[in-house]
Amino acid sequence: MKVALLSESPADETALRVLVTAVLRQPPQFVAPGFRARGWPNVAQLMPAVLRHLHFNTDADALVVVVDADDSVVHTEPHEAPGYFHPHCRMCQLRAVYRQTTKRLPPAHGRERVLRMIGVAVPAIEAWYLCGRDDQVTEAAWTAGREQGALPYTRANLKHRVYGTDRPSLPHEIDCALREVQRHRRDTRRLEHDFPGFAALAADLRASGARQNVT
Amino acid sequence: MPLPPLAARRHGLGVIASIAFQNFKALRNTQVALAPFNLVIGPNGSGKTSLIESLQRLRTLSSLPLTDADGRAQLGGAPEITFSFVPPFDGIVVRLGCTSETVCDTLRVEPAGAAAWPALRRELGTIRAYVLDHEAMAGASRRDEGDELGPDGGNLAAVLVRLRERAPESFTALVAEMLRITPEFQSLELVEHADGRAEFALRLAENGDVPAAELSQGMLYLIGVLALAFDPDPPAIVCIEEVDRGIHPRMLREIRDALYRLSYPKAFGSDRRPVQIVTTSHSPYFIDLFREHPEEIIISQKHGRAAHFERLADRKDLPELLREGSLGDMWFSGILGGVPEER
Repeated sequence: MKVALLSESPADETALRVLVTAVLRQPPQFVAPGFRARGWPNVAQLMPAVLRHLHFNTDADALVVVVDADDSVVHTEPHEAPGYFHPHCRMCQLRAVYRQTTKRLPPAHGRERVLRMIGVAVPAIEAWYLCGRDDQVTEAAWTAGREQGALPYTRANLKHRVYGTDRPSLPHEIDCALREVQRHRRDTRRLEHDFPGFAALAADLRASGARQNVT
Repeated sequence: MPLPPLAARRHGLGVIASIAFQNFKALRNTQVALAPFNLVIGPNGSGKTSLIESLQRLRTLSSLPLTDADGRAQLGGAPEITFSFVPPFDGIVVRLGCTSETVCDTLRVEPAGAAAWPALRRELGTIRAYVLDHEAMAGASRRDEGDELGPDGGNLAAVLVRLRERAPESFTALVAEMLRITPEFQSLELVEHADGRAEFALRLAENGDVPAAELSQGMLYLIGVLALAFDPDPPAIVCIEEVDRGIHPRMLREIRDALYRLSYPKAFGSDRRPVQIVTTSHSPYFIDLFREHPEEIIISQKHGRAAHFERLADRKDLPELLREGSLGDMWFSGILGGVPEER
């Protein structure tokens, strides 16, 4: 399978390569260089162009998009209901962008469309990095904290805990990201359990893998 | 006029706490608190360069002996620049007096005879300001002029030679960092000529040397910034104009990190003393990199012929703005101000 990544930084991309490989249980072929966006809402703005480019100009099978939730509404079970769309949920927004962009594209390069695989890190990808290291860092803890008006941690806290500084160099950020995702390299179930925003990405990846096997 | 201290100063980082301007070029009546790292953004002619110029004048005048004239108060309305400092120099105020917008020739230290002035003066004497010039940087330079990078970077080759001699570990680290950022190269080659000149070239990973004169502007600027970042004995304050110039947007993070290496050495595993940085940029992509630290951004606002400084972090609606989009886009749109006036 040929996979393109749209992420916010080279460190995110490095970690995502490991996580995508872990879910698929075999390394896909990654489109290089990866596509880069300048945070939210730039990811959503850029996604239609990236999808069209991949669809018409490459033989990529899928686009993996991962964004930080920041302070946005967290994607929950009710959002999965058919036809439901929450305007402040980034998962709902990115899925809608994908639907809008791909619904009128003609087949190209022997496939109907480039598949979408979307993950939302709540509240930031550093929370995923801490999974398995700190039991208090989970999507549920963040959501509960928001509801109670007392956040269990901030994005800045998470970054400091992962990098040991609030101003990590890029190589240090990449080293830390790689070190942390190694825990999930053989088994992503814990990460999927604690972070439904990652589980959604994993489900997309497995569905695409199954589709590849059928075709 | 007492100036507001910046929280970061309490940690003893940097040298200058704030600068107040009266009738100095476009800076008619404004003040700015300085952090350990300061990115100044704004339209052309809004006082960014004047801010850096004021620091250069402070360096020049502080290096001269104090005279009787230096003790005299300024005439009303004459340009004046007032500096206050972080601990242990927080009891000292320095005023530069100017006879015109271009001539500042007096320096007054308050209180007169302050015991800490000689130590502060030594710090101020190390202030350096750079407007890097790729053509100058690409040329050969005399190897005995390589103790510190010149204002245009024109002695870059000599600086690299000297760094290799006096601090080989720093030189090795600089080269390693450069090769990490630009993997198309495999080494930095220094050439020392018998007549005392030095030159440098980069060796391609696929073999073949690229002499400095044939390197891209961005590559030369990158090496210049790294030469500053890996200086084992850097100045107390470094000012760099247009630090993003010639650099690909995806590489700007590396430039920011190199400057952070100076301002926050502990974050990079170094026990070297921190360097206070004042830099300017017109790149929304570079500004984006300060989303996590908006307190480091100073916006120069221009109204007619007058300009003033504002700290981005002082905006009460900043958290909401950061939810809506990138800092660079916000700046370009005009929401943050700091854009050219239109008729």
